[in-house]
Amino acid sequence: MSEVKSTDVLVIGSGGAGLRAAIESYDQGASTRLISNGALGKSGATMIAGADVTLDGAGAAKIGLSGNEEDSREKFFHDIVIQGYYLNNQKLVEAYVRDAPLRTKELIDWGVKYVWDGKRALLTQGIELNRVLVDQVRKRSITITDDVYMTDILTQENTVIGAVGVDINHGEIKIFRAKSVVIATGGWQRAYSFTSAPGGMTGAMHVAALRAGADLVNMEMVTFCPNVILWPPALRGDIFPYILIEMFGDLLEKHGRPFLRDEYDPLIYRIATTTEWNKLIFSMTATRVVLRGDGSPRGGTYYSIKTVPTNIVDEAEKLYPGWKWLRTDFSNLMDWLKAGNAVEVAPAAHYMEGGILVDERAETTLKGLYAAGECSGGLFGANRVASAITQILVQGAIAGRSASDFSMTSKMREPNKKQLDEIQSRLLSPFARKTGIHAADLKKRVRKIADDHLWVLRNGNGLREAISKLESILSNELPKLSIQTAARTYNKEWIDAIEIENTAQVLLASARSALFRTESRGVHNRSDYPLTNNNSWLREVVTRNVRGKLTLTTRPITITKLKPPKGKIGFEEGILRAVKELGE
Amino acid sequence: MNMKTINVKVSRFDPKVESAPRYQTYKVPFEPRMTVMDVLDYIYENIDPTIAYHSHTSCHRRVCTRCNVTVNDKPGLSCHTEVTGDVTIDPLPRFKIIRDLVVEGL
Repeated sequence: MSEVKSTDVLVIGSGGAGLRAAIESYDQGASTRLISNGALGKSGATMIAGADVTLDGAGAAKIGLSGNEEDSREKFFHDIVIQGYYLNNQKLVEAYVRDAPLRTKELIDWGVKYVWDGKRALLTQGIELNRVLVDQVRKRSITITDDVYMTDILTQENTVIGAVGVDINHGEIKIFRAKSVVIATGGWQRAYSFTSAPGGMTGAMHVAALRAGADLVNMEMVTFCPNVILWPPALRGDIFPYILIEMFGDLLEKHGRPFLRDEYDPLIYRIATTTEWNKLIFSMTATRVVLRGDGSPRGGTYYSIKTVPTNIVDEAEKLYPGWKWLRTDFSNLMDWLKAGNAVEVAPAAHYMEGGILVDERAETTLKGLYAAGECSGGLFGANRVASAITQILVQGAIAGRSASDFSMTSKMREPNKKQLDEIQSRLLSPFARKTGIHAADLKKRVRKIADDHLWVLRNGNGLREAISKLESILSNELPKLSIQTAARTYNKEWIDAIEIENTAQVLLASARSALFRTESRGVHNRSDYPLTNNNSWLREVVTRNVRGKLTLTTRPITITKLKPPKGKIGFEEGILRAVKELGE
Repeated sequence: MNMKTINVKVSRFDPKVESAPRYQTYKVPFEPRMTVMDVLDYIYENIDPTIAYHSHTSCHRRVCTRCNVTVNDKPGLSCHTEVTGDVTIDPLPRFKIIRDLVVEGL
């Protein structure tokens, strides 16, 4: 173990939230280190995002975009909370709609290339966002640390004093002392075997935060993106058909029958094709098809554009010249689809509404620890409908400021030797065993538990099975994990060993939360409790570590403006009522 | 077994204990449209867990470019380069090798 130079603030995670947090922390006067588990601008979810920045029309008009002044911050707030099934922490939503124009203006001033849609979305790309934010980071004396896989938060007297991680390339454990820490590490989609998210998103910092004494919230809430490519392997995990289906095309069962219009009221289908609600509605429908045995050989369904006239498809190519989107060339795929073939697609783990519990200052329940972006929980309640890009910018800036403020009033402290020894021995223990369980095997088995039981549709029996399997892996199998690779430098087995423990822990928190919430709400759907129960469940599920034991509790939702309705309501009815409330 | 297998030659090198790279050949079951990343994953998961190739933060979308290697003497992203038969995989040239296919500064 070796110690690197301490900083006032340590920002963990170098996607958009981490980049924005580091900029703010530095600008507020704190010496700042930004740690990436890959390379700066080349890791995290932001780089592969679509990506829109959303803000209300009147706010847009104020910053010089041709926004609709009839629109308002309040309307935007209502839309987010109603479609979030009222589970949203309304204080977080207020901060989101309040700061969205400010953060958008700043991006424009920093030179981001964009197209304004005239309503609520500034269309850009994750690659471009990263370019602009990395450029701003490099203009400042922010210390950059690449390729360090963070594993632990250091504390003393229930206050954060730094963090520990593994330098992947050189195989060393490193200690980073700081007066405050911002976690900005995204979701834990890589706990699933099929996801649209990049590598590295395994919930390591959710688990580190929990271990150190911070609470998690709404861990049962997982959004799936419905039509994600299953095959060919080079395109696996790409969401391009999800983008296309907003324009045209259909999903088919194994014998070619279109099924999307079967399941629900025609109005629901229209909502699904024209709003962000498509993720939830299509994922539910496609999952039912697969569960009743009508899916494709690889466990998905088929996306087809066979019924769409060729000139209409060709017209759409203007939006994606040469059928290139982001950095990928889809021209072969489009030729194949235009020839009448279908591509296998399936729902993929896409976005986590739940995460580390924070307040409107991005403060967690642990002193000196802050969280921003997708790794934090509560903003989007039970269903995200507004941009996660706006989330990372707004919350990143807030967290950076809060962490900087905190660092000004606290002292740098020496890590506790006993805590360091425990971390070191936990991280190195698999090297001591020359025989035992292989990391690659165990990783697959952990992911299978998520695929089988924490997917789009859940039920009590499945969740109980997931919990018992995960507990058994954590207590009986993880201690038998062995690493065959002697070298510490870029040791894949070691990375997997670390990831397995984190994914198993984070899945356990998710499965326990999902079992605890005995209702269906938004993206959390239980076949044994199909109704949304506003009489008993306008509450957030909180996961806490009490002396090493995962403990669940609830707290009432945080309301500032919008009072939720009472009563119980079904899935379809609930969507139709929400549409009425939204007035369109 | 009439499943088609391919010979995969992978450059192995641990600069801490070896003086020069050497090739190690693995037999991998061939699947249509499989990528270099799939081949490496197969070796890691089923044959030899000690091989090093960048994958822990790889984006699979041609954006991060950190899985860049040399495939049959040509540079290519392992996540998007498809394999059609026997294949030789080297690290990118002119970079300092950390281990096997992982290089410094990519």
